[in-house]
Amino acid sequence: MKKGYIWKRLLRSFLSVFIIMIIVFIMLYSLVPRDNIFFEDATYKKLGGKPDDKREYVMRTWEKLGYLDYETLNDFCAAKYEQGSAEMEAAMENGSKEYYEFIDTFEKKGYTVEYLQLSKKPYAFKDVPLVQRLAKWVSHLLVIDTPWSVQDPNNPDLKRYIKLGTTPTGGLALIGSGTTHKYLIYTDTRFPFLHQNIITLNLGTSYPKFEGMQVLDVIFQSQGTEVKREVTFETGVTQESAINFGSLTYKPTLDRLDQAKFVDHYANYTTNKEQSSMIGTSFIMGIFALILAYGIGLPAGLAMAKNKDGIVDKIGMFYIIFIIAVPSLAYIYLFRYLGTRLFNLPSAFPIKGAGDVRSWILPIISLSLPSISSLMLWTRRYVVDQTNSDYVKFAKAKGLNQKEIFWNHIFKNAIIPIVHGIPSSLAGTITGAIITEAIYSVGGMGKMLPDSIKQYNNTMVVALTFMFATISVLSVLMGDIVLTWVDPRISLSEKEGRS
Amino acid sequence: MSEIANNEIMNETAVEEQLPADAFEFAEFDEKESEHIAAPRYSYWGSVWKTFIRNKFTVGLAIFIIILVAFAIIQPMFSGYDPMIAPYINDSSHKFQSPSLKYLFGTDNVGNSVFDAVFAGARNSIIISFVCTAINMLIGIPVGALWGFSKKLDKYMIEIYNVISNVPFLLLAMILSYVLGSGYLPLIFTMTCTDWIYVAYFIRTQVMIIRDREYNLASKCLGTPTWTMITKNILPYLISVIMTYVSREIPALISYEVFLSYMGLGLSAKYASLGKLISQYTSFMTGYPHLFWIPVGILACISISLYVVGQRLADAADPRTHM
Repeated sequence: MKKGYIWKRLLRSFLSVFIIMIIVFIMLYSLVPRDNIFFEDATYKKLGGKPDDKREYVMRTWEKLGYLDYETLNDFCAAKYEQGSAEMEAAMENGSKEYYEFIDTFEKKGYTVEYLQLSKKPYAFKDVPLVQRLAKWVSHLLVIDTPWSVQDPNNPDLKRYIKLGTTPTGGLALIGSGTTHKYLIYTDTRFPFLHQNIITLNLGTSYPKFEGMQVLDVIFQSQGTEVKREVTFETGVTQESAINFGSLTYKPTLDRLDQAKFVDHYANYTTNKEQSSMIGTSFIMGIFALILAYGIGLPAGLAMAKNKDGIVDKIGMFYIIFIIAVPSLAYIYLFRYLGTRLFNLPSAFPIKGAGDVRSWILPIISLSLPSISSLMLWTRRYVVDQTNSDYVKFAKAKGLNQKEIFWNHIFKNAIIPIVHGIPSSLAGTITGAIITEAIYSVGGMGKMLPDSIKQYNNTMVVALTFMFATISVLSVLMGDIVLTWVDPRISLSEKEGRS
Repeated sequence: MSEIANNEIMNETAVEEQLPADAFEFAEFDEKESEHIAAPRYSYWGSVWKTFIRNKFTVGLAIFIIILVAFAIIQPMFSGYDPMIAPYINDSSHKFQSPSLKYLFGTDNVGNSVFDAVFAGARNSIIISFVCTAINMLIGIPVGALWGFSKKLDKYMIEIYNVISNVPFLLLAMILSYVLGSGYLPLIFTMTCTDWIYVAYFIRTQVMIIRDREYNLASKCLGTPTWTMITKNILPYLISVIMTYVSREIPALISYEVFLSYMGLGLSAKYASLGKLISQYTSFMTGYPHLFWIPVGILACISISLYVVGQRLADAADPRTHM
């Protein structure tokens, strides 16, 4: 295959990711009615009798979610005068100089000015245009950490350097000062052992659930109870702590506790917890389910095709039909019942926790059931189709033995379409499984997208769509490349190949 | 060959020798007749039918599914079941009854007959899944065939696929339910507006695999037009694969409808559907298992029969099995 084809296709793939993002932005911000956000909002309901507070709350929430820019008289005056001063009080009165100035300024800027129902105070808002919102999102996507990243007026003496050193746990590290992260590159005992903080993806902050957290932190942070151990800090203090040193970031104001532990301003950190992250949990489950699916489905499908209309074929067919005909909700419950009754396995993930192998068994089996059935079905179909083809009859006529015909001729041709699906199934593991994870209460990715859509967590929806889209677009490309590996007759590019 | 048979042949030749020469007549030389190659008359669909009815079990299933579908369409007209009306809702003795002669499948949490509910639901689910499958196939197969065949088109279609398949489906379903409401046609539109691309993508990969085979290269060299190549050289190869896909698609669409109902984006409250019944009765699974397993069982019956019949049709559609 030509390298040029892959590069061009890669470029086009990223273009389509961009188009996906445009569509998602349009759908989220223009097509979903904005008022729906408040359907299940407790605060909104409490404010029922206070129209002014309600309006204020509605506008603030919309601003937070990125729908519009919102300005109030209070903000306008607070920028000029000190909060609580006499000038501020005077400016806040209806009909004051600032009152008219506020209306004037924002009407000139193209804002819509409206008045609160009871107090008649003016407020201004302007919808953020879609293009601007998208541009802002794209421009903030990649964050590169440099020694000039932190600009703190309260800390003018901040040194700016990058040097080699070690983390308190003894790993080698590239330490920065003036950077957002303290350890730019570091090694430790956690997978994948070498970590970097220089280039980070900024996908925005989550709201209303996981409020204020970075989207990526929500997905990638370990879950459950904290794992504490003896740690010696840089100041020499030794205490029980679950600190993850690699996550240290700049904190503008330090309290007494921070000063006891840290010698510099890098005091924000995340903690190590016992369970793997959402994405990690889904990935581990998905990978094992996938291995199980290919390990059982492929040989079973081959066996069925070899004994077409025989007893093995009938049993396999029964299983396939069962999985297809019964909704997943029903057979997952059935297998859970069987597993807990016959093998005494835990019926839910949290009972024994992630540390126990037994809690993984049932979710993984449940997850692999449909993949096993579809792999069996398609392997059987392809092999049977190949067995009937003329070249096989010819090979038989020429006197090749069964084994040779099966493995060198039938299998090689039948496996082509199966191989095409492998990269996509691999990519599918990180999106998680909605129903399986819900039934076993596994803390995975499956619920994230549906929940975020239902809760109008716009940043989360955008971020997840971006991640899933990128991975799946790349896996489609990967699938086509793998296809040409297993069948050299297929060519993808226009000019190359025989046709 | 046995000796007796040999003797018989000998005898026959002996009889022929005894015929007088004037018993023969010279036939006219017919050029057309001499060029004709004698072969049994072969009709493709006739052979498909013959192969299909050879297996009595599948024929039985096919009749069963026709009766079941007919029953599901006719029964609700007489039962007058309406999910919005619950006449026995205040009569607690009328709720959660076990199956009896009066109520074949028992009664549910609002005292309605499960038998009526299941068939009213089955009718809607069957109609929706059939219509959706038909639409998906009618759009997906021609698009997929062209897409797989033309490398130029592939360049653009693969990106369209990437875009359509990656826009979160739930978000789209939600928006469509705002715009179109929740009824019959909106649901069909929601379930088909993006789903055809998966059929097309599946067909595309299959076409790509046989597109570059030698016989197609030869056909192309001989100047066969693209559309003829697709319809005569490639699609007949795929009939069995397509039939397998269709027989999976119908149950899959019913499950899909279950999922949409589970997320609250399915049909509105005034329509019954198997999906809604199943997700609604899931909470009674431990207390009143019949409520959950009866709709699941009916769904399984429909899916299994359709699937087996479809598989049999797929086998029968393969001309290599006609010999």
